[in-house]
Amino acid sequence: MQNKTKSLIGSLMVLAMAGVATARAEETLRFATWDTDESLAIQQAIAKKFEEKHPGVKVQVEPYADGYDQKLIAAFGAGSPPDVMYMWNFPQYYTSLMPLDDLIARDAADVKPDDFPKGLMNTTRVDGKTYGMPSGFTTQVVFYNKDMFAKAGVEEPKDGWTWDDLRAKAAKFRDEPNKVYGFAVDAKPDPYDFEQFLWSNGTKYISDDGKQIDGYMNSDAAAQVLDMFGDMAKKQEAITLNLGDDTSGSTLFKGGKIAMFQSAMWSKSGIDSSGIKYGVAPLPKFGDKTAHSALGVSAISIAKDAAHADLAWEFVKFFSSPEAVAMRVNDLPVRTSVAEEKGMTTDPIYKPFFDILGTSNTETHAFLKNVNWGKVQDNLARAIEATMIDQGNAKQHLDDAVSRSKRLIK
Amino acid sequence: MDMTYAGAEPKMARRKRSAIARHAAPYLFISPWILGFLFFTLGPLVFSLTMSFYDWPVVGERTFVGLDNYRTMISDDPQFWESLWITVKFAAIYVPFNIVMSFLLAMMLHNITFASGFFRTAFYLPSVISGVALVTIWSWIYSKEYGLLNFMLSLVGIDGPNWLGDPNLAIVAIIIASLWGLGGTMLILLTGLKAIPKELYEAATVSGVPGWAQMLFITLPMLGPMLLFTFITSIISAFQQLTIALLLTKGGPLGSTYFFAMYIYDNAFKYFDMGYAAAGSWVMFIIVLALSLGVMRWSAAWVYYEGEVRQNDGDGHA
Repeated sequence: MQNKTKSLIGSLMVLAMAGVATARAEETLRFATWDTDESLAIQQAIAKKFEEKHPGVKVQVEPYADGYDQKLIAAFGAGSPPDVMYMWNFPQYYTSLMPLDDLIARDAADVKPDDFPKGLMNTTRVDGKTYGMPSGFTTQVVFYNKDMFAKAGVEEPKDGWTWDDLRAKAAKFRDEPNKVYGFAVDAKPDPYDFEQFLWSNGTKYISDDGKQIDGYMNSDAAAQVLDMFGDMAKKQEAITLNLGDDTSGSTLFKGGKIAMFQSAMWSKSGIDSSGIKYGVAPLPKFGDKTAHSALGVSAISIAKDAAHADLAWEFVKFFSSPEAVAMRVNDLPVRTSVAEEKGMTTDPIYKPFFDILGTSNTETHAFLKNVNWGKVQDNLARAIEATMIDQGNAKQHLDDAVSRSKRLIK
Repeated sequence: MDMTYAGAEPKMARRKRSAIARHAAPYLFISPWILGFLFFTLGPLVFSLTMSFYDWPVVGERTFVGLDNYRTMISDDPQFWESLWITVKFAAIYVPFNIVMSFLLAMMLHNITFASGFFRTAFYLPSVISGVALVTIWSWIYSKEYGLLNFMLSLVGIDGPNWLGDPNLAIVAIIIASLWGLGGTMLILLTGLKAIPKELYEAATVSGVPGWAQMLFITLPMLGPMLLFTFITSIISAFQQLTIALLLTKGGPLGSTYFFAMYIYDNAFKYFDMGYAAAGSWVMFIIVLALSLGVMRWSAAWVYYEGEVRQNDGDGHA
């Protein structure tokens, strides 16, 4: 009975929402986001704040969730994109987005563009033009279980540690009968994040002009990275994730099955609520090379033909204002002033996230360099997976990925 | 309407109108289907053919490229051939198994006298389950560490393999999961079995024809049209296999279950290359059409329709 009532209410809500969509008032601003749950609630709260400051304006938050890209592109294709939207894939969409440079320059006193770390702003540019404002971000770190370290008598990771250090520590946690390991390597990592390891080892997927992958993606330095992860799996310093099994690294870490877990802000709230005692270490270095991190940036953009362009810009400005940025607790503040005010740059849990941001403005993510990157990336992902299945042979698999991608790079 | 008729012969006009109404009635009744077919099947079909001659991104400019999409696919895209080969392999194993197993199950259900209703429902049940639920169940069954299948294997002392993680086994796992839904085929064959007149068997038994010969010369020929139908629909569904692979293995590991339908799906909804995807769909359409026509033609040799008189029957020359 309760279920029936619920579904009835559900369908009424759908009807009501459809009603709102058709009876769109002049001052309704549509805002599309990929976030769900808590993060969505935060954005709804920010939208509410904006409505309070602009009487008569209604912000319609449209959570597209999984399949965000499909839904967004369908909305663009149908000629009714949201006015304002979350954006990451700028090369794909920039022709349909509004360039923001003039607006930022005009309202510089308000926006304070220098308050945003340079590396973050770089991710929203195509051909030197800015198409989005960062609103939240994350870098990558290593979470470690303090209780497990104490119990095993292993020294906790320190700043400046290397992959050799990580491997030596991880080996000490191996407990096969109980399926406990020191670390987890992913057979199907997101290639977007994975490039950080290549950067950290002095190479990259693709040349800066976006025209060359041979000698980059399949360089010795790249193969070395993949082989290292394969070897960690082989020597059981790490368990392999995503080989015919969906159990996630965060599930294992929260369950005390792995002592160290490489991830980002999106894992933090789950780990917090699991109640384990944990610390955060920076990404390890390859020897004495500088460690780099991938940048996960949630930027917000305006559709080129937005019906309420001025209002949309007001919303974007508010969304990246110190007030709104401070409300986002599920990712990191994109404004240095907010981060410092909250003491995050010195807090031991947050400090590693910010420390590595400083070295993250020197490299550009591959998808910003070549419009076909999405397809190339699938060949690369297969090479990574093949290496993890083989527990080695990275060079051969990467060469294969390069030759399969040749036609896409011309 | 003509004025003269309207005044002079109202009755006739009325009769005429009612005649039109009478003739229109059946068309009105089938119109929902016809309209649905025009707008949701034929329309999109023609539209996708047009699309396949374009470079058609969802956002941005469309450009006419002629046959370029087809040319690139065939000569310059290894993924096209790989996914096609995987699909052919799948179909070559799935189709015979599907028909033979359905046939055996139908035979058993036809002959058992105890709780046949229960078994019929039990075998048909998986066909009712939606693809997503089915895949969820199978992902539990196949899980390497916690799966039901490997647990059962461990009971007899076998260390179960990584079903979905091994590039050689994943396709086997998908074939098994697909075969689970053979209830529909089974039901069609069961109906066919029930429709065979008992007199044929009685006459054969009286004449001392052994069971295997009855099967070969009565059951199979009488089932011909049903077998042909299930054969063709199995081929079509094998080529369109998408749900299970998409959800159970995501085309992996190492693309070993990357079916042709998934290749099309990715081109359309992952790379947003609509023209290229439409070209892929048309290649699939042509392949399935050719296979179906081939089977139809070949079927003339082995399918017997009741009431059909064969021209060379009984002419004694052969």
